[in-house]
Amino acid sequence: MSLIDLMTMAKPNRELREKLYSRLWRVHPDECFQCMRCTSGCTSLKLLELKPHEIILLASSGFIEELASSDIIWACASCLKCRERCPQKASPYDVIIALRNLAVEREAKIPEHYMKAVAQILDNGLTENVQTVTSRKMEPFDREKLRLPSIQYPDDRFKAVFMEILGG
Amino acid sequence: MKIAVYWGCKIPTSQYAYEMSVRQVFPYFDVELFDLSGASCCGGPVRNVNSTAALYLGLRNLALAHKDNFAGLLVPCNECHFMISEAKYRVDNDEEMQRKMQALLSEENLEYSGDVKIWHVIDLLHDKIGVDAIKSKVKKVLKNLKFAAHPGCQIIRPSEIGRVDDSERPSKLENLIEALGAETIGYSEKLDCCGAALLYSHVDTALSLAGAKLKAIQSQGVDGLVDTCPYCHIMYDVKQNEALAMVGGKSTISVLYYTQLLGIALGIEHEKLGLHLNQNIDRKIMSK
Repeated sequence: MSLIDLMTMAKPNRELREKLYSRLWRVHPDECFQCMRCTSGCTSLKLLELKPHEIILLASSGFIEELASSDIIWACASCLKCRERCPQKASPYDVIIALRNLAVEREAKIPEHYMKAVAQILDNGLTENVQTVTSRKMEPFDREKLRLPSIQYPDDRFKAVFMEILGG
Repeated sequence: MKIAVYWGCKIPTSQYAYEMSVRQVFPYFDVELFDLSGASCCGGPVRNVNSTAALYLGLRNLALAHKDNFAGLLVPCNECHFMISEAKYRVDNDEEMQRKMQALLSEENLEYSGDVKIWHVIDLLHDKIGVDAIKSKVKKVLKNLKFAAHPGCQIIRPSEIGRVDDSERPSKLENLIEALGAETIGYSEKLDCCGAALLYSHVDTALSLAGAKLKAIQSQGVDGLVDTCPYCHIMYDVKQNEALAMVGGKSTISVLYYTQLLGIALGIEHEKLGLHLNQNIDRKIMSK
């Protein structure tokens, strides 16, 4: 849902804000003074109307539930320009990642791809299966045909630890 | 120099040309590559779901390099390079998190050590091997070719964690291209993102971002785009037709990994560099 729809008559929730802040490390949304350097360079501003300075203001004001439920937090391209350029270490990128984690925990609607990637890692340690690709001349090639060595995947101990962390 | 190499997910499952060309070019500079055994995802997509799990994934790949006594880990993918560098920066500066991660790593009989240096293709070639050493090995000077360099996002930002090149004025990739005798252009869209991270949630936007940059480069009359990241390469080469269609672009433009271009200049056979796998590459480059 769009952020504007979610924000109608919304009330700030300071408890949830603390929960969000507990996930941040060396990131200080409260120190943002809305200089908009983040938004002026944002990859997703023009096409998806992502305004990182607004995300920071809404987060520091306590509108966490609204942010975590909105589509806008999934519009970030992770180009890291906002984190680089923020003079106050408010890092919209890190706040958006923390909001996405919170959205997953609250079972909000999240892009399916990310859950699939996690499931694939539990299967072979990687986010993908080995693919057959086609050359310019439409000839199929795989690792073997290209004489690339076989992949040495992680063992079951890895899967157990990864599961343990995901389970919290 | 012996160095461990971490291929990540995209390179060993589909971006074979990058893997082939990296394997081909480094031995020319006395760099011996060893694949990490048991490597997992770097945590890139996982950070969106669970940041702690992503941190663990990044760190365990460094721990695998340490276990096999490597002092350096080559990470050719920009996203993996960021995730692993970020994981290292976090535990090097956060004792509590380091304790937590060490406890988890010990369950896999692994141990984190801050001593493993993380390298990318660009800084290993530019800072360690050096432009002069590269020039001295060039067999085919790439005269009359002009390229746009695409440094990507995640190897140049955020500078606080230590990155491969300057965050606002990266120039190493250009220096490396010019070392082969080719020309490079300055262009105002250089720092624009390829959009790959949006491919799974906002496909049209992702393609428009890639297409807009390709179109801007084409208008400058270059022979191609040079990149060093499998995600960027997927956007600019594999999805080029769709990307250009989004922005009303028509003709195609050659896209190569830097290690492929370097391999051509070193005189390596095209097939060994995976050049037949590039979807867009013109005769002018293939004639070299």
